[in-house]
Parts: sequence; C-alpha cells; structure tokens
Amino acid sequence: MSLIRVALAGEGGQGVQVVAEILTEAAYNEKKHTIYIPNFGLEQRGGVSVAFMQVSDEKIGAPKFHKADIVVALSERAVSRTLQYSDENTVYVYDSSFNISPDELPKKAKKIISLPAVEATKKELHPRVFNIVVMGAVLEFTKMVSFEMAKEALISKLAYKFEKDPKLKELNFKALELGKELAEQSLQEGGAGNG
Amino acid sequence: MQKVVGDPRKAFITGNEAVAWAALAAKAEIMFGYPITPQNEVMHYWTRLAPKYNRKFLQTEDELSAGFTTCGAIQAGKKAFTATAGPGNVLMQEPFGMAEAMRLPLLAVIQQRGGPSSGTVVYSQQEVTLTTFGGNGEGHRIVYSTSSHQEIFDYVIKGFNTAWKYRFPVFVLGDGYQAKMREPLEMYDPEDRGIEMVKPYALVGLDGRIGETREPQHLCNIYSLEEELYEVVLKIAGDYDAMTPEVVEYEEKECEDADIIVVSHGVVSRAADDAVKILRSQGIKAGYFRPITLRPFPQKQLREALAKSGAGKILIAESSYGQLERLTKQELYGETVPIKSLLMPGVGIVDSDIVNKVKSIM
Repeated sequence: MSLIRVALAGEGGQGVQVVAEILTEAAYNEKKHTIYIPNFGLEQRGGVSVAFMQVSDEKIGAPKFHKADIVVALSERAVSRTLQYSDENTVYVYDSSFNISPDELPKKAKKIISLPAVEATKKELHPRVFNIVVMGAVLEFTKMVSFEMAKEALISKLAYKFEKDPKLKELNFKALELGKELAEQSLQEGGAGNG
Repeated sequence: MQKVVGDPRKAFITGNEAVAWAALAAKAEIMFGYPITPQNEVMHYWTRLAPKYNRKFLQTEDELSAGFTTCGAIQAGKKAFTATAGPGNVLMQEPFGMAEAMRLPLLAVIQQRGGPSSGTVVYSQQEVTLTTFGGNGEGHRIVYSTSSHQEIFDYVIKGFNTAWKYRFPVFVLGDGYQAKMREPLEMYDPEDRGIEMVKPYALVGLDGRIGETREPQHLCNIYSLEEELYEVVLKIAGDYDAMTPEVVEYEEKECEDADIIVVSHGVVSRAADDAVKILRSQGIKAGYFRPITLRPFPQKQLREALAKSGAGKILIAESSYGQLERLTKQELYGETVPIKSLLMPGVGIVDSDIVNKVKSIM
C-alpha cells in the first residue's frame, strides 16, 4: 500500500480525534507505518478540530502534509477550514445536510462526494454514534486498514463504555456498517452528488 | 530502582508520552514544570506515571521557578528535569544560564511552538537560537534536535548521561508535531541495551573538610572580580571544546558525489531525507546532512562532506526564518560554497517543498 493521507475535520466534540486515534491504532496493530497528528490550535476550545492521518507500508517522512488524498468535513465551518488540503488528486467528502453553495466547495478535487451521514445516523441509529458512522465511511473510502482490524481497535478503545452498557457495542458496530454502506453507495453513484 | 519498561516493547504514543517514559527509564527522580502547550502532556504523563515508580513532581508558579527548582534539586544530587516551550523557554533562560555558570547537569525538553511571543501553540523550529545560545552566556550547552519518537526516547536517555558525565545543561529539542503526534517507537530499559546510566551525585552538603580532605566545589554564579569571571568562563569554554568531539552527532547520506547538500534538522530532516531520494531518482545528485547536535555543531563533519563531494551548493531548509541558516553560516566561515535557503517559519515542510526549491536553484 502506498501512502494514504487523510484530513478529517469537524466541530470540537464531534469525536473526530477519537476516530483518528482508533483508525491509526488499527493501522499500527496491522503493522503498518502510521502517523496521526491532531490539530491543536486554540480552536480546541470550541471550533473546528482537524485530525491528520498518514498510513503506509513504508516509512513515513514529514508528519504533516499540504494536500490530502481524502478530506472529510463534518461541519459547514470544517468545509472552509479544509479547502486548502484539496487538490486535483483529492476525494473531498462533506455531509449532504450542509447548507452550502457549490462555490464554497473546493475548486480542485478529483471527486466531490456529499454523504448523507447526519441524516442516516439520525434516522437509523442515534446521533451519538455519528463519528463511528464517519469512521466506517473513512474506512471504505481509504481502505487504510482492514474492517476487522478497525473493529477490534474500536472495541479496545471503547471497552470501558461497552462494559457499562453492552447495547452500545451493537450500536457502534451498526454505525460502522452504516458508514461503510453509505460510502459504498456514494462511490457507486460515481460521486456525482455535488450538493 | 525498579525497572520501568521490562522487555523492549513497541508502542504507538505521542512524543510527550515518549519523553515521560524515557525519563522514567533513565531513572529521573523528579520533574519540575509549569504548563505550556505543546509540552503539557510531558507533565501530565509524568504525574500519572511517577507515583507508580516512586518518582516526584512539583508544579511551580512559573517557568523561572521550574527552572530554578530543577537547578536546586540537581545540586542536592537528584536527577531532575523540566520541559517547556515558546515563551516558557524564554523565561527559563535565566535558570538555564545558572546551570551553565554552575555546571549543573540539567536536562530540559523543549517542544518548539510558533513565535515571536505566544505565536502559535502548534509547531515551529524557531527556538533554535534561544535554545543554543539563549541567556547572557556563551551557549555552553548541548542541544540534541530529534526527528522521531524513537529519537526522543533515545536522546532523553542519552541526554541525562551527557549532562551528568560532562556537567553541561542538555536540551532535547523537539517541536509541537513531535510532541503531539502519535507514531510507533520501541521502548526499553537502557541497562538492557548495555547503556549504563550515570549515577547522580550531590554537589552540596558533601562530606569532608574543605582544603583538608576535599577541594571546594565553587558552585558559584556571581563573582566579585572581572578577572575571576574571565578565568571561570575560559575554563568552561576549554572544557566545552574538549568535550565537543565526544558528543557531536550528525547524520549524513549520499554526500560522496553530491552536487547540492540539503542541510536540515529535527523533524524537517524527514522531509529532506525523502526529498533527496526523490531528487536522486530524477537524476539530481543531492546529498543529505543533518546536525543532530545543534550545539556543539558538527562543523568539521559538514566541512568534510563539502570537501569530499565538491558540492557547488548548500540548501538549508527549516521551519524558521534563518535560525539554522545563521548557525550553519557561522560554523562554515571561510567556505565559499553558495548557501541558499528554504525558510518557512512556523509551518511544516514536506518533501515536495524541498524538491521544488532544489530544482529552482540548480
């Protein structure tokens, strides 16, 4: 696998950093080279939170990157914050619920995908697992790590919560599956959905 | 003291966490600190881990105090350290100067953030001048600039030994990226690798009678006479120069036939390493030179690399506006090779930045 660079951005509290932690932990467990840097500007106190991930079979150089292979923006503000990471090789993903016009989307992208993650999560599951739905989608878009390995890392990360509430485990697994399906569908549609 | 790591084990952790583990493995007894991003988690992890291993922590009222309490504990014979960043590094220059004056084996981890002033809390390489030559002294310090979590772990351990062996303040110079990112490393107990940890020793309250059974310690940071100070500084300078060949460290690749040598340090050297490989694959003879010790600088080694390669150019790449460039130029005084630079203060540098710059100047 050659180098995959991912920028995942959302509002503080949406769980973006947890997703990045789980995904890169899974990649590490799969013996891949991986680096994860949280953005930790002053925005940490309420604002857009970005996670930068890199996964590769080979040693990874610079910890940060200028352009990502895939960008996922989970809030309207996160869209404008992440435009800079998109170029003609980038798959750019944002949520279809956002009230934004096409000229607010990146000028350069290989593909722009609007994903109905917010709506589907609300309708089929529970808003609290939105980030795990997103994790499932990121997995499908990037193939940065195997689905099973990601699931294992998810269990190990949230074990303490699952112990307290076993139903949560099923909910999270469903969320992961839902995200994967949403991403699959959007890819089949050829990523035409430009909002 | 109980073993900390046990069997060598791989871990996927942040650089700050790696600092805390390395300090434990190096048998540090106490950390003094004051919070500042991006260094905070060094303290957080240390306070979480220290009680389990019977180590101590004191949060002081500011960085001046954190630096001076570190100096105090060291005089009492404790293996002590501190960590800071940015404006905290500015404040700590006064205690660091005391450590220089009194030859205290102080270890400080610096996680560079953006500047000037509060700058950013994110990343930069703008504390090179401050860390190498800060304070009202002569820069008699040892500064290791790390580029990965493995090196953070290795050089914190090595740094304690260098400090206690030579009695100069030692700095492990990281940055916000290294502090906050997660990447794999292997942790180990130094003894298991045949690294003998220098035992700390008290500098005050010693047994014996001065002038009869032992020499006086002369732990002094102020003198009445100019001539006294002059003698002391010359003695320190002499010791520093004598030590230099033993502690200087660098990394060099592909310099034998290089037409251009890319000089970088710290995390930027990862991008430089990749850039040199890319350039080579495109038929451009680029070389890679990285000072690991910014103080003392591998002057002789860089001059040798220049001489053997006959390189017609040097490119200096750094996330500051010329701090490594100035350092390198003063060390290369007399060389006539043109020195170009890629200066990106406060932001990361990736391989393509360096590749493009090299192509634009070849």
